[in-house]
Amino acid sequence: MATAAAITTLDPKSRAASRGMSDLAIRNLFIIPTIIFLIVFNIFPLMYSLGYSFTDFRASSPAPANFVGLQNYRELLNDDFIWTNFAITAKYVIVSVIGQVIVGFGVALLLNRDIPFKGLITTLLLLPMMLSMAVVGLFWKLLYDPSFGIINYALGLGTFEWLSNPDMALYAVAITDIWMWSPFVMLLSLAGLSAVPKHLYEAAAIDRAGSLYTFFRITLPLVAPILMIAIIFRTMEAFKTFDLAYILTSQPTTEVISIRLYKMAFQEWQTGRSCALAYIVLIMVLAITNIYVKYLNKVKER
Amino acid sequence: MSRKLTGMLAGFALTLASGTSVFAQDKELTIFWAEWDPANYLQELVNIYEAETGVKVTVETTPWSDFQTKAFTEFNAKGSAYDMVVGDSQWIGAASEAGHYVDMTEFFNKHDLTKVMAPATVKYYSEYPAASGKYWSIPAEGDAVGWSYRKDWFEDPKEMEAFKAKYGYDLAPPATWAQMRDIAEFFHRPDDKRYGIAIYTDNSYDGLVMGVENAIFSYGGELGDYGTYKVDGIINSDQNVKALEMYRELYGFTPPGWAKTFFVENNQAITENLAAMSMNYFAFFPALVNEASNPNAKVTGFFANPAGPGGEQFAALGGQGISVISYSENKEESMKFLEWFIKDETQKKWAELGGYTASAAVLESPEFQNATPYNKAFYETMFKVKDFWATPEYAELLIQMNQRVYPYITAGEGTAKEVLDALANDWNETFKKYNRVQQ
Amino acid sequence: MAAVRTTGEKALNRVAIVSVLIATLIFLAPIYWIVSTSFKPRNLSTTIPPTVVFTPEISPFVKLFTKRSQLRSAPTPEEYEAAPWWERLVFDGGEKVVRSGRGEVQLSGYPSRFMNSLIVAITSTVLAVGMGTFTAYGFSRFKVKGEGDLLFFILSTRMLPPVVVAIPMFLMYRAVGLNDTHWGLIILYTAFNLSFSVWLMKGFIDEIPKEYEEAALVDGYTRMEAFFKIVIPEAATGIAATAVFCFITAWNEYAFALIMTNRRAQTAPPFIPSQVGSGLPDWTVIASGTFLFLLPVAIFTFLLRNHLLRGMSFGAIRK
Repeated sequence: MATAAAITTLDPKSRAASRGMSDLAIRNLFIIPTIIFLIVFNIFPLMYSLGYSFTDFRASSPAPANFVGLQNYRELLNDDFIWTNFAITAKYVIVSVIGQVIVGFGVALLLNRDIPFKGLITTLLLLPMMLSMAVVGLFWKLLYDPSFGIINYALGLGTFEWLSNPDMALYAVAITDIWMWSPFVMLLSLAGLSAVPKHLYEAAAIDRAGSLYTFFRITLPLVAPILMIAIIFRTMEAFKTFDLAYILTSQPTTEVISIRLYKMAFQEWQTGRSCALAYIVLIMVLAITNIYVKYLNKVKER
Repeated sequence: MSRKLTGMLAGFALTLASGTSVFAQDKELTIFWAEWDPANYLQELVNIYEAETGVKVTVETTPWSDFQTKAFTEFNAKGSAYDMVVGDSQWIGAASEAGHYVDMTEFFNKHDLTKVMAPATVKYYSEYPAASGKYWSIPAEGDAVGWSYRKDWFEDPKEMEAFKAKYGYDLAPPATWAQMRDIAEFFHRPDDKRYGIAIYTDNSYDGLVMGVENAIFSYGGELGDYGTYKVDGIINSDQNVKALEMYRELYGFTPPGWAKTFFVENNQAITENLAAMSMNYFAFFPALVNEASNPNAKVTGFFANPAGPGGEQFAALGGQGISVISYSENKEESMKFLEWFIKDETQKKWAELGGYTASAAVLESPEFQNATPYNKAFYETMFKVKDFWATPEYAELLIQMNQRVYPYITAGEGTAKEVLDALANDWNETFKKYNRVQQ
Repeated sequence: MAAVRTTGEKALNRVAIVSVLIATLIFLAPIYWIVSTSFKPRNLSTTIPPTVVFTPEISPFVKLFTKRSQLRSAPTPEEYEAAPWWERLVFDGGEKVVRSGRGEVQLSGYPSRFMNSLIVAITSTVLAVGMGTFTAYGFSRFKVKGEGDLLFFILSTRMLPPVVVAIPMFLMYRAVGLNDTHWGLIILYTAFNLSFSVWLMKGFIDEIPKEYEEAALVDGYTRMEAFFKIVIPEAATGIAATAVFCFITAWNEYAFALIMTNRRAQTAPPFIPSQVGSGLPDWTVIASGTFLFLLPVAIFTFLLRNHLLRGMSFGAIRK
């Protein structure tokens, strides 16, 4: 036991580590290149954008950028349109992530049983997330079409308008997103579920625990960490969602923040202002993720 | 495992190293355009140039939806990937003021292009600022909005009789917007899954605005004074209010789910038996006369944008001019190519291949006008077109117009007057912001 | 009592099987539609009710690989006779194949873009998963100062809407000559996936009991040897799952491929939906492009399915 303790505390004089590379060197070799890589390719452009966000720079114009201080931020935060965009985004994130967790985790629970052709079925279920967002948007627009779409035909909905109805459009986009990304949640859940030791269930069965009790007391806590990772990633992606909503509809009720951002940056070419908006988005995502990560750590400690 | 990974990696590194060196070739020109048939016709045309001169010309394309973004991203980074671009008419202000396009004024005067090309195409594809005598591109693909309709529905004797009984005049392709409204109403039968009319409603770029412009221009209205940037009393004039109300009324006769529609959907309205009449750019009509893509090809007819109540008749302009990009490393070679491009025989060949030439001589020739069922309507239209703002802020103006007009057209929010007053206000603010208004 | 439970179990299992089948059918219906459309004649692609029985055609694939334009007039019988079988299929569809000045058939952008996709996606996946595994191990086994913050930093690099970094990224790439190159996209996708890979791999490696390596170290292995011989095999499931996700992301990325690349290095996703032609999309061609593009990912996933599903064998001695 003493050896183990010595190794984990990085004692350079430990017997095994003295042969070959020291643990410290290995740790640095393993971690530092990744950090440097991410700094160069993620942080550097970020700094660039941060600088622009305090200017009136327009990438379409040769005029030099003027420093305008916090004006961009002030104007954006006072713009009611932007807050509407955020509210739409929040609604979208909630609907689509909850939908994905319910469907994905639900299917994973079913698949975790004794199912024939499990490998094949799982691979087939993953097919939707293997498509490109742009292609999915294109095909689902056709599937939703009230006149020659297959969804209305299959469900017998007549000429029900999915994407042209301001109240329905956001849900229609979310349904497509759920179709596409539930498999992601399913796969991670499945990995988590199969790691739950069988003997815990056996013990529960001997104790004659009800299935609800087993689920909430054994299954869920053990799967929670990996499920949380799935939720973190899906929330971040849903918050940034662009392609799907952009291709499927053009209702004001589906203008999520990324679409507003895209229009500002690439149609109006208000580069400085769009960088400021991007930072506001980033801070929000950071805050939300921070809460998640804190919760994740708490879940793990249990 | 790790050995396999390294092996794979090495293999791909090799592929990459060998792959990238192959492409170093000189004397090659690249023209950037959107992904559609005319770009293929242009490729066929420039093949002739390659055969004559040995200079390889490639037409590079990108989807329509990303065309503007991609072009301007490249311009703004001063990229030399493309030598020429066949750019939208609205870009010309933004691209010329920012120095992305090479000044073509000298080229224009030398070849007397103001006479060689149809006047409207020179005005909107080439000249900026308005009436300045400065030119930035060569009119390449002329285009405007026209209409297709179902001849079999219109010529059905029973329908004709019923129409005459109801409206008191003969059922025929509409001469005015009011007639068009009646015909749309007449054929609008949701229970039979047949609808009156297909119009543009997509607000993600210029679809909806083009459609509304068709009404506004024919109603005798304007978007504003392009010389003085005055908009008050022009964009919210009485004619424009009426025109917008008409467009809203027509929306009531569209097929279900018609709230994000542009050229693809409007052509589908004809091929899928959805609508009696459909608005579209002339550039997209070849697909409608092709029996392989349109089962109703034989019974599809075409007409020019109808007149408004005052008898005025105009149409919204589409189409593009070809410009040399300032950051190209082959500017001289590009100019040589353009000298070839504007020759009469090249323009004639261009029209034969399917391009919509802007050459006045070719347009006026009977061969051209009889070549397709829609060429005559195209010729007529090209002499009465009007366009959107071409100032560098056109994208902001476009987005503001979309934001104001879309909820009114598709959801009936507010009144036409309120919407246009608010739009006049938005545009005034924008022009003030960019110091366009001289006061 | 026990007998009742087992019958109950059996019934429950049967319900589960039926539910899984229904879910699979719902999930696969759009995919089935895409795959079947890629073999349909054009005029059957948007019928209502959808055409289920039809004679499969290869013409969508011929069209997918060639550059075509609308026929202005029908081909002459001689032209038609002289044309090879595949060109006749294009004629039958009311189109003609575009040829170069020297009469060579022009390929569409699809085949070269498909190759680019393979090169970019495979290389970036190998890099992201490799680096991610190392880094995850480093964080999992050693004390790192400010570990939480560093991990959060790694995650945060994935939070920014890509639209924002696009402009600075583009300028930066231009300056160093990485635009329109395979390496440019490879680096970009590696950077995207790395955060995901580190987080996922850390989750998997955390679950591998330290006792395994400690025993190996006592047996005289170096830390490096222990990592490659003990940890990597134990983490194979995690590596496979991570690789699948990274590959899928890189394979389908759209926005950056569109902005950062032109004809040399562009991947297929921006190309597939762009085949609008002259105002009427040929759904059969778009579907066949989608179907072919789906095959590599589907095969890759299918090959790794056992890893994806086997679960973690070390779960049993979980603390």
